[in-house]
Amino acid sequence: MTFFRSGAGLIPEFPSPHENTDILDVATEEAGVQPPFGQALHVTPLVAEGELVARGAAVACLRNAPDICLVAPIPGRVARISLLPGRKLSEIILFREENGGIARHAIAASTTGAELRRLMQTAGFWPRLRRRPFGGMPKGDEVPAAIFVMGVDTRPYAPDPQQALEGREASFERGLAALYSVTDGPVFVCWPDGSKVPGVQTKEGDLRWITCGPRHPQGSAGIRIHQAFPAGLDATVWDIHAEDVADLGELLDTGALPVTRLLRIAGAGLREGLSVRTHPGADLRQLTRRIAAPGPHVLMSGSHLDGRPARWLGHRHRQVTVLPRDEARPRPHWLIAALTETAATRPVIPTAALNQSLGAVLHATPFIRALGAGDDELAMDLGLLSLLEEDVALADYALGADGGIMQQVRAMLDRIRVEYAP
Amino acid sequence: MTRGLWTRETVATLTLASLLPLAVFWIWLGGGQALSRWAFTLLVIAIWHLVFMLVRAQPPSLSALVTALAIAMLSPEELGLFQLTLGITFGVVMGELVFGGWGRNVVSPATVTLAFFGFGFPAAPWPVFDAPLAWAAIPAGLLGMMIGVMPAALLIVAASLGALAAGLGLVSNPVLYAAGIALVLLVADPVTSSSTLLGRCLQGALYAALLLLFASAWSGAAPPQIAVAAALLSSLAAPLFDDIALSLWVHRRRRRHGRT
Repeated sequence: MTFFRSGAGLIPEFPSPHENTDILDVATEEAGVQPPFGQALHVTPLVAEGELVARGAAVACLRNAPDICLVAPIPGRVARISLLPGRKLSEIILFREENGGIARHAIAASTTGAELRRLMQTAGFWPRLRRRPFGGMPKGDEVPAAIFVMGVDTRPYAPDPQQALEGREASFERGLAALYSVTDGPVFVCWPDGSKVPGVQTKEGDLRWITCGPRHPQGSAGIRIHQAFPAGLDATVWDIHAEDVADLGELLDTGALPVTRLLRIAGAGLREGLSVRTHPGADLRQLTRRIAAPGPHVLMSGSHLDGRPARWLGHRHRQVTVLPRDEARPRPHWLIAALTETAATRPVIPTAALNQSLGAVLHATPFIRALGAGDDELAMDLGLLSLLEEDVALADYALGADGGIMQQVRAMLDRIRVEYAP
Repeated sequence: MTRGLWTRETVATLTLASLLPLAVFWIWLGGGQALSRWAFTLLVIAIWHLVFMLVRAQPPSLSALVTALAIAMLSPEELGLFQLTLGITFGVVMGELVFGGWGRNVVSPATVTLAFFGFGFPAAPWPVFDAPLAWAAIPAGLLGMMIGVMPAALLIVAASLGALAAGLGLVSNPVLYAAGIALVLLVADPVTSSSTLLGRCLQGALYAALLLLFASAWSGAAPPQIAVAAALLSSLAAPLFDDIALSLWVHRRRRRHGRT
């Protein structure tokens, strides 16, 4: 009966070896500070190559919003600063040195909304937030219509946010209370069905709990936002991971932003799976060096569904996927290619699988057809503005689209931003 | 990168698999003649798929097997090879291939072909279905619903209304048998049926209502002809039902959230 009670969605299965139950704390010897995936950041470097920086110290700030800083995830020496034309950040590489120290921020006894916002920006917390529509981190003065705290993650092999919050309940509540002061609207907390809901005081703001089942994409932020509080061109909605909320609470208590997060390493390219506590920008090669299976493999920051090949762990990623590298296949005979491949997009056939892969909360077939046809207005009507690539990753996988649907979502969001956004 | 299985060809294969109970019973009862009819229909469809692959770079689809089964089962008997070829050509080319192949068509090519036969060769006798064959449509529909390649709401609404009409004595058994077979072969086509829940319910209801109307008011029409006409009109109305369902959904979301 569990099958019928667990609600909409699918449980995709991917091969991965048995996981070691020990959780190790790992700070990699090298770390990379990068912009969030798909976002070009024009930055001003605040450090020089060869300079020693503390953990949590600002290494760069945005040119148009100097308060928003990118910080060093490890104490160490700046090895290289790579900027693209237009001073767009490519990466800042750090070599770890333990004598770098930890950067601390002054905390007032009672923090107002503006002060908290400035603290979050200068402490390097801002890239952990993500806005919808269009994705990326919010603008410095943006006031969200609602904030979604994701205490559940249903992606395959995702680490359990509840495990990450063990022993940090007080910090989580402190961080949650702080979020009221940066929004005028409600704060939604997505929580696993059947798990104990912490007794958070709700007198300060509008706190609402949403329970989610175990199937993907029920724990996907976009699906939950679409269902409970859709984002619009004039109503931005932020989402943040529950572990980051606990980090915010700890920042407000101690003045230092914790940088470690629970990370799970899985995939068919491993000898054994592993969970570690590490920092954003961690060196994926070092993390997987001892557990990768022999032979060529691909390191992806993110899950099997939405991960991308990368050298450094992404800002919001809590999964690393290691897959064996496919050998280049010989080109098939022209007749076989004509029978099986096509340059045009493959048509999508409506099935129950497609509906479930989008959580059965939006009209999947008209939505996918609107994406394929480039019908911006219909796609917006059907809920595109609440979604990002990762929310349709399961549909992309289920339909065997090879990333085509995620690309269509990104292309359409970019077009809407140019043509419709105020 | 890893990929899922629900591609176009997987759905075509699973649709054929769910229709196997019907196909097996039909071949068992019809023997070699039925099999050769299916083979000939498939040959004509395959030739047109090949032509469109070479001329338009459109990959062929295994859905040709399903289309061939529907045409072979429901088309009038005693049609000559030329007449059969003409009808299949019209239905497959104008109903499916010119739109870009299976997945982009508006009406099922089998429905277009059968409607063409009905209008073009009205004197040809339509097949008569026995009860065992009609009963085989039930496991076919159930399999299609369980696998997820057939719209469950449409099948349930149409079957429920059909059962109600039969219980009230509004339709004869031959019409009911033909309607059941046409329901799983033509109306429940995953591409051309409605894609929203409300649209599917409305389409199933329209199919049943048209069936009742034609059965009571179309004098001289054979049961398969009635079922095919109802299937054609309900398929043509499917986009309208979807549009109504989406408009209502958007209106409700705007009223509740102020946006969609």
